[in-house]
Amino acid sequence: MEQPENISMWVEKYRPKTLDEVVDLKSVVESLKAFLKTPKTMPHLLFAGMPGTGKTTIALCIARQLFGSSWRTFTLELNASDERGIKIVRERIKDFARYTRGAFGNIPYVIIILDESDQMTRQAQTALRRIMETSSNTCRFMLICNYSSKIIEPIQSRCAVFRFSMLDKENMVEHLGYISGKENVSLLPDAAEAIVEYSEGDLRRAINALQTASAYTKTKTVDKKAVLRVIGEASPKKVQLMLNKALGSDFVEARRMMYELMGQYGLSGSDIIRQVHREIFKVSHLTTEEKAELANIIGEYDFRLVEGANDDIQLSALLAQFSKFGKLREAGN
Amino acid sequence: MKDELMWVEKYRPKRIAEIVGNEEAKVSFVEWLRSNRWRKKAALLYGPPGVGKSALVHAAANELNFKIIEMNASDIRTEKAIGKIAGPATTFVALDKFSANTEGSLLFLDEVDGIFGVQDRGGVGAILKIFAQKKGRKEKKTKERKEIQGSQIPVVLAANDPDLRKLRPLRKVCHLIRFRKVRIPLIVVLLQKICLMEHVTAGFEALEAIARNSGGDVRSAINDLQTLSEGGEALRVQDVASLHPRNRSFDFADTLKGVFSAKSSQEAMSVLNSTTIDFDSLVLSIHDNLPLRCKDPVELGVAYDLLSKADVFRGRIGLENWRLLKYFFSLISQATTVSSQPFQPFDFIFPPMRIIALFWTKGKRVTLEALCAKIGARCHVSRRSAKLDFVPFIKAILKEDKSAPLGAWFQLDDKEMGHLMNMGRL
Repeated sequence: MEQPENISMWVEKYRPKTLDEVVDLKSVVESLKAFLKTPKTMPHLLFAGMPGTGKTTIALCIARQLFGSSWRTFTLELNASDERGIKIVRERIKDFARYTRGAFGNIPYVIIILDESDQMTRQAQTALRRIMETSSNTCRFMLICNYSSKIIEPIQSRCAVFRFSMLDKENMVEHLGYISGKENVSLLPDAAEAIVEYSEGDLRRAINALQTASAYTKTKTVDKKAVLRVIGEASPKKVQLMLNKALGSDFVEARRMMYELMGQYGLSGSDIIRQVHREIFKVSHLTTEEKAELANIIGEYDFRLVEGANDDIQLSALLAQFSKFGKLREAGN
Repeated sequence: MKDELMWVEKYRPKRIAEIVGNEEAKVSFVEWLRSNRWRKKAALLYGPPGVGKSALVHAAANELNFKIIEMNASDIRTEKAIGKIAGPATTFVALDKFSANTEGSLLFLDEVDGIFGVQDRGGVGAILKIFAQKKGRKEKKTKERKEIQGSQIPVVLAANDPDLRKLRPLRKVCHLIRFRKVRIPLIVVLLQKICLMEHVTAGFEALEAIARNSGGDVRSAINDLQTLSEGGEALRVQDVASLHPRNRSFDFADTLKGVFSAKSSQEAMSVLNSTTIDFDSLVLSIHDNLPLRCKDPVELGVAYDLLSKADVFRGRIGLENWRLLKYFFSLISQATTVSSQPFQPFDFIFPPMRIIALFWTKGKRVTLEALCAKIGARCHVSRRSAKLDFVPFIKAILKEDKSAPLGAWFQLDDKEMGHLMNMGRL
């Protein structure tokens, strides 16, 4: 395992290694500790919550607690949004369960962490349910997702479900203060405030922003100016530009940019639509009512994206609605 | 009928010179047949229906003393069936070659686009084999018998599909001969001749109307002439008015033009119903070209909303619910006819932008995915999350502090580092 000083991303460097190090999430940590006293009794786990609230961290802590320094050997990390198709997931899971079975006497079971499991299709989840049943002697699943409602009932009923709430402001500021202390940088209060606001409850984002901001300062002091520069640098400029073109009724140019996002960055329709939704609230020349109206439109097309056959057609249709909106708004003024 | 024979049969050209129009194609075909090139390549005659492709083959065979072995769409043409007939016919020197007054046989596969139907599965393979097989044989026996290479008899294919996409695999082994629509004056002259022979009196304008209505299809013009003369009286322009344009199959540009220029959604619907273009690529092209038809953003918004709904239905249809197709078509035809402005011809965007956008950027995408996979493995996140939540920050840090050991920690190679630093911002 790497020594802390060699780790260059702060999110990894300051990721808690044991459950005791996890300061918030009191109730979750307490119940999990109870399970870990008698590992055999631990059920499958389902962690639900928004990004950057500590789901993966807790799962890795449990793995470390169970297997000590050899945790990597007995833990399989899969990401449902990367490993498309249940076939790969199934084969890797089966192989993994078989490979460790009975070979190491003092290991109660192996652990499979399935991240972003709400990205799996219903069919894949149904297949997974069978695997969970047949392999329950040899392995435990930790399913991680944003929305537990996207996980089918039979799986939910086989798991102990933990909900991770978003970190509140105080906790977040405390975390950032702790990290900057360790790194010998001083974080000014208004800078911390700006990071917290930008990160929208996502601690991972907040730490990444902090690290980038501290790279920007020569004086070991992170001020608000540095944070704003980070926010500017990390904001999705192309998406904003596309949005502005669409709202300015230049549909053809907006659509060209959409294809650039899809082509050069390999973003999927839902990736782009999520970014658009985030950015629409930052457009300064729109009123709150107008933003709400546009958010409704985005919601409708996000839904159609799921049902439809072509991402690019649905996204273009959304952009066309924006340019229609822009035109009508201009005519109204 | 005045006669037992249909006029199209009765006046089928016996000699090459009797075929109207397509002079270049005729010359090209006869040259191919007379030379030895037919050993290495088949001839593929393609073009709209009724312009004389089959007629040319028959007339040329007649004139140059070939015996035709013919298969057309009405025969089942699986690979096996083609192999059964074409195999022996093309590999062995036909016995008739030795009989005095014939050049031998000629294999004619008409309407090869039909080969790609479900029943004709594997038909293309059989055609390719006729030529590929010979290469194997050639290698073995080059020394002893140089003259045995390629097909032993000429193979002629005829196809209607104008964009040839489906026929692509055949292009390597085929000499392409293009047929165009026959010009209207030529058809009129032909119709006049037939009228003379059949003792029909017809005004010039009436014949011209028939020719125009045929859209360059000689066969349908002759058929129409025969139908209209059944009455036995002199043919006038008014009689011709009862003719309807045939439901012909539209090619890509025709279809797009048809749906975009339609004055009502019903009209667009009838175009959609008669097109042979597969509707997944059609819908992509409509999506590409919609902003060129609907210039007004408000109308474009309405049109795109309908297209988006159509796409939702496409998703619901999937691979089985084909009964939903009518809603899909209906929504598309509404989408293309939203604009209140009269149709102005424009240059269609083709091939689909998506294909172009994704094709040119494939290398960049692959590199980005690879480096995101490395970041994801290090930081316990998915590639997507690495792309959106890490890459912008990592890039910003590296830009500011070139010595930051991030690249080494993520184990990025030079190519990936270069891409990370040079890629545009999201």
